[in-house]
Amino acid sequence: METRGKFSFPGGVHPPEGKQYSQGRPIEVIPNPKQVVVLLSQHLGAPCKPVVNKKDTVKAGQVIGSSDAFVSAAIHSPVNGTVKDITLAPHPVLGRTMAVVIDVDPAQNEPKLPVAGGFDARLDLSKWTSEQICRAIKDAGIVGMGGAGFPARVKIEPNPAMPKTILIVNGCECEPFLTCDYRVMLEWTWQVLAGIRLTAKAAGVEQIRIGIEDNKPEAITVFNKAIESLDNDEDIQVVPVKTKYPQGGERQLIRAVWNKIVPTNSIPPVIGACVVNVATAAAIAEAVVFGNPLTHRVVSVTGRAICKPGNYYCPIGISVQELIDYCGGLTETAAKVVMGGPMMGFAIADFSTPITKTNGGLTFLTRKEVTEAKFNQTQTACIRCGRCLSACPENLNPTRIAHAVKANKLDVAQEQYFMSACIECGCCSYVCPANIELTGYIKTGKLLVARAKKKA
Amino acid sequence: MLSKITVSPAPHISQPLSTQRVMLDVLIGLAFPMAASIWFFRQYAVVLLLCSVGSCLLSEWLVNVVRRKPNSLSDLSAVVTGVILAFSLPPAAPWWVAVIGGVFAILIVKMLYGGLGYNVFNPAMAARVFLAISFGTLMTSWMAPATAKDEALKTMTAANTHATTQATAMAWSKASLKGQENAVEVSKFYRDSFFGTEGGCLGETSALAILLGGVYMLFRKTITWRIPAMVLVSAAVVASVGWLIKPEVYVSPVYHLVGGGMMLCAFFIATDPVTSPLTCKGEFIFGIGVGVLIMLIRILGEYPEGVMYAVLIMNALTPLIDRFTRLIPAGGKPHVQ
Repeated sequence: METRGKFSFPGGVHPPEGKQYSQGRPIEVIPNPKQVVVLLSQHLGAPCKPVVNKKDTVKAGQVIGSSDAFVSAAIHSPVNGTVKDITLAPHPVLGRTMAVVIDVDPAQNEPKLPVAGGFDARLDLSKWTSEQICRAIKDAGIVGMGGAGFPARVKIEPNPAMPKTILIVNGCECEPFLTCDYRVMLEWTWQVLAGIRLTAKAAGVEQIRIGIEDNKPEAITVFNKAIESLDNDEDIQVVPVKTKYPQGGERQLIRAVWNKIVPTNSIPPVIGACVVNVATAAAIAEAVVFGNPLTHRVVSVTGRAICKPGNYYCPIGISVQELIDYCGGLTETAAKVVMGGPMMGFAIADFSTPITKTNGGLTFLTRKEVTEAKFNQTQTACIRCGRCLSACPENLNPTRIAHAVKANKLDVAQEQYFMSACIECGCCSYVCPANIELTGYIKTGKLLVARAKKKA
Repeated sequence: MLSKITVSPAPHISQPLSTQRVMLDVLIGLAFPMAASIWFFRQYAVVLLLCSVGSCLLSEWLVNVVRRKPNSLSDLSAVVTGVILAFSLPPAAPWWVAVIGGVFAILIVKMLYGGLGYNVFNPAMAARVFLAISFGTLMTSWMAPATAKDEALKTMTAANTHATTQATAMAWSKASLKGQENAVEVSKFYRDSFFGTEGGCLGETSALAILLGGVYMLFRKTITWRIPAMVLVSAAVVASVGWLIKPEVYVSPVYHLVGGGMMLCAFFIATDPVTSPLTCKGEFIFGIGVGVLIMLIRILGEYPEGVMYAVLIMNALTPLIDRFTRLIPAGGKPHVQ
C-alpha cells in the first residue's frame, strides 16, 4: 500500500520533526487533579456565561457554561466536584478570562477512561438523522480540536446557501513534536472512522478524504485497512500528502487533497469543503453514540526539555503545572514552555494556565532549539534576501507587511501587501536570517486593525 | 528555573541561519576568485584586498561609534563589500585608491543611506564609479597575470601575454568594434578569460574561479539561480545579435560571457540581496536588465566595460520593479468589505 505523499502546496518549510520523543508512547490516562479550572472562552465565537454558582455541586458531564449566540459551544464539567469560584484565570491568548474553578470530589474521583474500545466503525448510520447528529454535536459542546476551536456544529450543519460536497479529515499534525493526533489515529481508529462517517452524514456529503502526512506511514496503513473492512461503497479514501509544514493548515490541506483554493479571508464551505480534525471526529463519535460531552482530550506533552514525554488523556481544566509534575518536571536546559506546537503555539510563563478543548500539546524547548539569537531576541536589519517570500504558503510578502506595521502604516500593509491573507503559520520568521519577528509584527498589525474597526 | 523561561511570539524555533552566516557563505564563494587573484597577481592582489577590506571595516566601525550604535562589523557585510570593491580594481592601482574607495563605499553609499539593508545602490559599484571619475588613468593600470614560471609580476609586454596591443579582454572587444582588430581572431582567446590568463581587474579574470564560487553559493541557497541565469542569458542573446550579423566586428557571446566583469557581476554583484528586487518576477526583470545594459554599454557605449553602470542603473529601478511585481495572495485579493 502506497504511503508516500504525492501532493502538496507551494511554499512552506521543513523544521526538524522531533516526533520521536512521544510518537511511540501510547495514550495514558492521567489521574484526576485536585482542582480543574474550566475556562469559559475555549472556542471561537461568543464566550459562555456560567450557569452554575459558587458552592454548587456539579457532576461530570454537567453543563456549567452556555451561550445563546449562534457561534458558540457549551462547556461541561469534566469531574464530580464543587464549584469553588467563578473568577478570572490565565488564558494563553486572551491574557485572563472568566473560568469556573471546580474542586474535585475526593470520594468520586475515578478518572474518565477513553471509550475507543467500544467502537465498531461499521456502525449503521441509518440509526441517526442528520439533524440528530448535529444536535448531539451541539449538546456535547464540540469545537475544532485541531487548535482553532470553531464550534463544530456550526461548521458541519448543512447550509443551503453554501452546500458542502466533500469532507476532508485532517490527520496531518504538521507541527513538530506533537503526536496526539497520531496516537488517536493509531489507537482509536474505529472511533475516528465512525466519527468521520457520522460527520459526513450530518453535513450531507458523500465524498470523504482523509489527509495524512507521509511521515506517519503506520497511521496511513491502519486507516486503509479500516476503510477496507468497512466493505461498503462509501467514497472514503486516505490521501497521503508530502510532509511539510504547514500541510495541516486547512487551506493548504484542501489544496493538496482536493486541488482547490479557498478564496482569501473566506471559509472552506464557500467552495463546498468541510474540514475536520481527527480528534474532533473521535469526539463527535463519542457524543453521538454514547452521548458524552467533550470534557477530556489527548494532550501530547513533548519536547527535549521535559523529563518524561508522552501522550496523556486529560480532563479539560487541568493545569500545565500538574502535567509538568506528572511528567517528571522540566530539564535543566528548558528555555520555553509552549501551549501548542513550536511553530504556532503560545509561550507561557504562568504554569497555572489550564488546558482547554483546543490544546493538543505542550512543547518544551531547550535553549539550543530556540537558538541563542531568538532567546536573546537579537536582530539585524532586513537584508531583503526574499526567503520569507519563498516560504510563505499564501504567496505573500511578509517582510514588507511586517515593516509597514513597524512604521505604523497599516493601510499600506493591508492594501498593498494584503496583511489579512496571512494565516500566521510562522514560516517567514522560521527562515529569516536576520531573526526578525515577522509573524509577531504581522499578528500585531492584524490586531491593531481589528481594534480600530471595533472602535469605529 | 522559572527565570530561565522566556516568552516571545511564535514561532519558537528557527532555521539555524543568520545574516552573518549568509555573508560568510558569500565570502566562501568569493574565496575561489580570491585565490585566483592572488595566484595571478601576487602581492598586488594581497595589498589591494587588505586595503579595501580594512578601510571598509574601519569606516563602518567609525560610523557606529559616532552614531553610538552597537558594533555591526560581525555581520560581515563590510568584508564582502571590501572584497568585491578590490576585485573591481586593476591590479596596479595604488593602495590608497582602495582605501578611498572603501571609505566612499561604506560611509557614503551604505551608512549615509541607513546602514545594512537600507542602501539603494551597490556600495562597491558606486565606489568603483567614484574612483573611475576621480582617478581616471589610475583605474587602467593593468598588469600581465603571473604564470607558474614567473616569480615576479611584470608589466605587460609582447613576450609574456598574447596581449600585444590590448591589456584586457574587453579592450580587445572594443578594438574590434572600432575596426582595429578582427573579432573572429579575438574570439578565439576566450579560454584566457575562462582560466584567467588574461589581463583585467583583480577578481574578474578567471571565469572558472567565479563559477566555482557561484556554484557553491547556489548549493548553499545563498543566491537563487534567477539573477545569474538571466544576466548571462540576456547578455548572450544581445551579444549574439551582432555576432551573427558581423562576426568580424562583434566578438562571440562566449567571449563576452567569460570576459570582463560579466561572471563576477552575474554571481556576486547583481545578486546582492539588499539592492535587488524581492520578488521572483522582479529578479527576472532585474537580471535581464543588467545583462542587456552591460551589453549595450559594451557595444554601443564608449566604455569597454559596462558592469558597474548597468548594476547601478538597475539598482535605481529596483524599488519600481518591486512595486510592479507585487504578489497576489494564493487565494486572490481579499474582498473589500
